[in-house]
Amino acid sequence: LRLMYTATAMQSKNAGASGPEKYTEAFIKKQIEEFNLGKRHLANMMGEDPETFTQEDIDRAIAYLFPSGLFDKQARPMMKHPTEIFPEQRKIQWGEDGRPFHFLFYTGKQSYYSLMHETYEKLLNVQKYQDQLAAQDHLPQKEKRNLVGSRWLTKIELEEMLLEKLSDDEYSRFIQLLQKLMMLPCGDIEEKYIQKFSKEVPAQLQKVVIEPLKYDGQGVAFSTGEGTRKTARATAVVYDNGTGKITVNGTDVLHYFPVLQDREQLLFPFQFLDRVGKHDMVCTVSGGGRSAQAGAIRLASAKALRSFVTEKEVEFMRQAGLLTFDPRVKERKKPGQEGARRKFTWKKR
Amino acid sequence: LHDISCASIYNPPRLVLCRLSQVRGSRYNPSFLEPEVNKELYQKPWEELSEEEREKLELKAVQPIKAAPPTVSSSVFSDPMISKFTNMMMKDGNKVLARSLMAQTLEAIKRKQLEKYHKAPEDEKETIECNPYVIFHQALKNCQPIIGLSSITKGGKTYQVPVPLKDNRKRFLAMKWLITECRENKNRRMLMPEKLSQELLQAFNNEGPIIKKKHVLHKMAEANRAYAHFRWW
Repeated sequence: LRLMYTATAMQSKNAGASGPEKYTEAFIKKQIEEFNLGKRHLANMMGEDPETFTQEDIDRAIAYLFPSGLFDKQARPMMKHPTEIFPEQRKIQWGEDGRPFHFLFYTGKQSYYSLMHETYEKLLNVQKYQDQLAAQDHLPQKEKRNLVGSRWLTKIELEEMLLEKLSDDEYSRFIQLLQKLMMLPCGDIEEKYIQKFSKEVPAQLQKVVIEPLKYDGQGVAFSTGEGTRKTARATAVVYDNGTGKITVNGTDVLHYFPVLQDREQLLFPFQFLDRVGKHDMVCTVSGGGRSAQAGAIRLASAKALRSFVTEKEVEFMRQAGLLTFDPRVKERKKPGQEGARRKFTWKKR
Repeated sequence: LHDISCASIYNPPRLVLCRLSQVRGSRYNPSFLEPEVNKELYQKPWEELSEEEREKLELKAVQPIKAAPPTVSSSVFSDPMISKFTNMMMKDGNKVLARSLMAQTLEAIKRKQLEKYHKAPEDEKETIECNPYVIFHQALKNCQPIIGLSSITKGGKTYQVPVPLKDNRKRFLAMKWLITECRENKNRRMLMPEKLSQELLQAFNNEGPIIKKKHVLHKMAEANRAYAHFRWW
């Protein structure tokens, strides 16, 4: 399923219950004991060893014993550790006499403000240390930190960590403070603290396997690629040692795409790589409209060209937007409106 | 006796690209960057790039990038200004017609300039600009207002306050004026390319109704100078 990214806040689980504690500590403990017992029973039932029964085995067992055809994964029967099922909650923040434990309780967001205070304290410490070093002329040179592999925690992750709701402004202020701390020359002292708020971005996810060239009967190298755009599906076969002839669904490109814009799109990958007259292309396309078919063939030919070209050029193609699937589709019509966005004519009475 | 084969209408789950309902959002994740189509930027060797550019490149290598739109291409013939202008001229999504009108306009400009070129004496031949793209860009630039008016309500009365315009807004106003002028004020039964080429050539020479409109706007802004302090941004 392709995800939809909305501008409004995603419906996140309420981090930190609004109200008195629904799940007491004793209750959660009992749930954990029951879960462990149940895990062993399940292992026995399935004939596996209770000692080495992992969560994946549990999931498989439950899916086998209670098959469900429900669409929503959250609605199906599941057996997970209680900490994953019951959301984390804030403990009661005041004692029996009604006095709060934390000195920042009356700010309303005690964990956020205490975090800001802590971070600022670290910043001041680093600055003091820096001044000491500067007095002795021992300032270390700032090494370029590798920004590539890491990212800051998102707002939702920070909310989960603090168990408090945050506003966008507060989140951005916190990130700015962290960046300031990181940018200082002696900021490496607080490396551990900063790492708590950063996550690694695995760059390997984007490694796509490029297929090697195939050779047909005459020894001519060729490569295939598939592309889609809206409802159009296309497959393209790009041959080497060609004259720039393009055949679409058995007909010449001039007859199939009378509009100049579509032909421009077909030539785009070749023109970008300076290989305009060097390849022949045979493609099949179905579905969609005129522009969608052209876009689908463009993507298919770009994917096919990857096999002919160096890795650096593949990266350039990706940065030019030739190798990305275009997720834009027709927006659905909503009830109470005439179209996707157009509303009915407003009548005063 | 015939078997009653109950034809159960069971649709197996097909791998249809589920068009998830999308409400008020972009189909792209906010972390996707805009694609860079210009070929020359990619042909620079690594050594020539400055520190900042190298850092930017390294960062870009790990971030996902959006697909290039169908109107954009890396060929010399695709110009972002011309595409923008074509889109503004387009009616009811008829891009084919808009593009053909644009092509005819550029052709008309070229023809007129070539006529002038061949008729002109030797020494003037160098000053005549024949490239329609250059004429288009220069004409748009000449039509762009520097300062605009914004209605601000203060104490019950609405004042027209002079306000500096952003680049996008200037370009938009220039293009909008050109198009409305061409659609409405055709003195005789003219077609769009002819009228547009006429207006563009006039704007290129800093004359014509659109330049006049720009000057009128500037004069109004100058006249309302007294209210300039009402602006709070």
